[in-house]
Amino acid sequence: MDPASLPPAVLECLDAVSRLEREEPPASRAALAARLGLDDAAAGERLGQLETLGLLRAERGGRLRLTAAARPIALRLVRRHRLLERFLTDQLRLPWERVHEEACRLTPVLADDVAEALATLLGDPATCPHGNPIPAPDGTLRPEHATSLDRLKAGQAAIILRIEREERGLLRDLAALGLLPQTKVEVDEVAPFGGPLLVRVGSARYALGRDVAARILVRKA
Amino acid sequence: MPTGLALAGNPNVGKSSVFNRLTGMGVVTANYPGKTVEVHLATTRFKDEEIGVMDLPGTYAIGSTSEDQWVARRALLDGGPDVVCVVVDATRLERNLFLPLQLLDLGFRLVIALNLVDEAWREGLRIDARRLARLLGVPVVPTVAIRGQGLDQLVEAALAEARAAAPRRATPRYGRDVEEAVAALAERLAAADVALPWGLPPRAVALLLLEEDDETRAWARDLPAGERILADAEAAAERIAAGHDEPAPIRIARERHGLAGEIAEKVKTRVCAPSARQDRFWRLTTAPATGFPLLAAVLVGLFATLFWMGDYLSTLLTALWEAWASPGIRAAVRLALGEGAAGRSLLWGVDAGVNAALAVGIPYVLTFYLILSVLEDTGYLNAVAFLTDPFMHRLGLHGRAAIPLVAGAGCNVPAIMGTRVLATMRERVLASTLVCLMPCSARTAVIAGAVARYVGWAPAVAIYLIVAGLGFGAGLGLNRVLPGRSTGLVMEMFPFRRPSVLGMLRQTWHRFKGFVCVATPVVLAGSLALGVIYETGLVWAFTVPLRPLVEGWLGLPAVAGLTLIFAVLRKELALQLLITLAIAQYGTGADDLLRFMDRGQIFTYALVNTLYIPCIATVAVLARELGWRRALLISAFTIALALLAGGVAHRLIALMA
Repeated sequence: MDPASLPPAVLECLDAVSRLEREEPPASRAALAARLGLDDAAAGERLGQLETLGLLRAERGGRLRLTAAARPIALRLVRRHRLLERFLTDQLRLPWERVHEEACRLTPVLADDVAEALATLLGDPATCPHGNPIPAPDGTLRPEHATSLDRLKAGQAAIILRIEREERGLLRDLAALGLLPQTKVEVDEVAPFGGPLLVRVGSARYALGRDVAARILVRKA
Repeated sequence: MPTGLALAGNPNVGKSSVFNRLTGMGVVTANYPGKTVEVHLATTRFKDEEIGVMDLPGTYAIGSTSEDQWVARRALLDGGPDVVCVVVDATRLERNLFLPLQLLDLGFRLVIALNLVDEAWREGLRIDARRLARLLGVPVVPTVAIRGQGLDQLVEAALAEARAAAPRRATPRYGRDVEEAVAALAERLAAADVALPWGLPPRAVALLLLEEDDETRAWARDLPAGERILADAEAAAERIAAGHDEPAPIRIARERHGLAGEIAEKVKTRVCAPSARQDRFWRLTTAPATGFPLLAAVLVGLFATLFWMGDYLSTLLTALWEAWASPGIRAAVRLALGEGAAGRSLLWGVDAGVNAALAVGIPYVLTFYLILSVLEDTGYLNAVAFLTDPFMHRLGLHGRAAIPLVAGAGCNVPAIMGTRVLATMRERVLASTLVCLMPCSARTAVIAGAVARYVGWAPAVAIYLIVAGLGFGAGLGLNRVLPGRSTGLVMEMFPFRRPSVLGMLRQTWHRFKGFVCVATPVVLAGSLALGVIYETGLVWAFTVPLRPLVEGWLGLPAVAGLTLIFAVLRKELALQLLITLAIAQYGTGADDLLRFMDRGQIFTYALVNTLYIPCIATVAVLARELGWRRALLISAFTIALALLAGGVAHRLIALMA
């Protein structure tokens, strides 16, 4: 099914459900309504549309699940959105604050071949300007083998997936240093005897204690 | 009213150089209670205009999480400067622009000092300062702070910005959905008709709420309409989170980093590839095979320099004092007060006291600070911290504590001041306690002069081993007992730099002044007090109450107990006094310790002397750095440990004999 044939409202709803599933499962109608800023009835109507299209089913207890048919669409939408963001930033030099929104607007109406032409023009970028990875043309994200940063050896590189949430202070300190999810880190050195890791992020080098590194989940790049 | 100028910036971007160049002398430091990070304040004149300069601690952001960030933010918000000068490192622009963007978000008037442009130039980086100014909407002045270049223009730009009447037009713009959420929340806040915290604009408060800033949330919670504002903020944060798959604070940080990177990219031109020198240095200093031997060499070198140069300076200064100042002072006091006890007491203070400061504190402190600034300015300190971190970790510390601990072997006073490199009070208390247990050069003198000479070298080494074991045990124990736990190491590894000799000397002098002001008066007053006790003969009155402890528990002659008390002035005094008092009590011939103490007693004596409170100067520095309560607790702990170890040693030796 070509996502461009679906109305934007449906795509928006599909996208929201897929995010809810990833972020705070189980996805429910109430959570969806809150995210989209709709009332319960309107949310129900949208969900009904998705169900008729065979993109969604509601399980017992109100849990929402995207069908297998819906998943590639969701990822393709993500790919378009992020390619567009790159295009708007790198080529059109649009101001930073407009990029996300314009991309949102353009995503549902972009045909697949246009998206691929964009990708070629941009040199097949790996990430959006915010650092998030761009899924492959077949609508898949490279499989993620999550491991913690402290398991890496010197000379290896990885992309940060997430930082364990229970420590808000640590999360914010790392964020201020630019150690955000989807950032690429290279391990330069690992001190022996359970010592810290020397990692490179862009032009900066940081020493991260083994305990801190253990809380940073990454996938090898 | 002088114009208020605040200096902000990431660590290690040359902020102190700017501050020192701008202000010169007359620096006052301000402390927030319970915090170890200081804010330096000074006033300066520029073309007949008075400027109050506030030097904030170096931070990457103005959050309320870590201590340095908290202090920087408090000082900014409470101080309300007319203009904030942000020093940024031209060689690492994309990392450095995060902080100015955040300050613009809070609504401060900014001037950017684009520092280290010379280094950027050498690395093949050209930065378009004018374009940067246009993109940020604030004045940008290229500077080389270490040589004072561009600072006049900087101050001029700052004054112009502070005087500008028009409301600032520069506000960073993030993604539109973020901006909409912020604007909607700001509107709510403006409509709520409440006084916003620290007089911040509504947009700033809205952003802080979306960033889940603890202090701003606490402010909102206390409002009558607080529940609603917080609910609004949460709904807005939720909308941002829904749009981006990540929580609002992280999204905002990402937007800010992204914007910083984008601006940096636009103003930067690279004319040649960066040299691989930095990489080679890093590999050499941090790879285990080369790093550890190098570290060992540096630490041995540090210790040796501290010992020999300190000793050399100490001998030189005391010789000078005794040759030139001492005779004159003695004559003057004798002339004024005669030969009596009063005159002799005064001499303890003004002659022997000054001599003590010249012999023990000053030479070692000066040497240590010089070495420290070399390690700091070259960037090698990072490698030390990196390699020693696993060992320090067991003691609840991290790598940055290694240098103060090693320095403690020379003199405890600068070592305790050196613990400022540690971020939290818990780490500083731990490190300072361990430093106090480190045998300094004065205690080494007693171990060498008493134990090695009269008992043998093996027992002398045994004392070091016992003290090391006790220190390690104390570290492990304290790490368990003290509330909280050590923070993980997250430290930027600064690039290696060619240090400037002038800069290092200036830094050394700045720190040294701090030491002299704290330690010297205490040493003088303490000397005077002990002089009175000694000269009036009151000293013998102390033998009676001391007897059960000294004779009964430690098995030492009572007179030895007295000298242990006196040694609080300076530790090597213990041995000199022991001989003096012994001669007074037992007659000449008692200068041979073995005449009135057996080998076991000498061992116990040196052990107790090594373990209990380092000296009065150390206590003074502890009090200044950590507060009196902690200083007294640490002192009490070391006394208890010394008595315990001494008593046990006495009994074990008796058993073995």
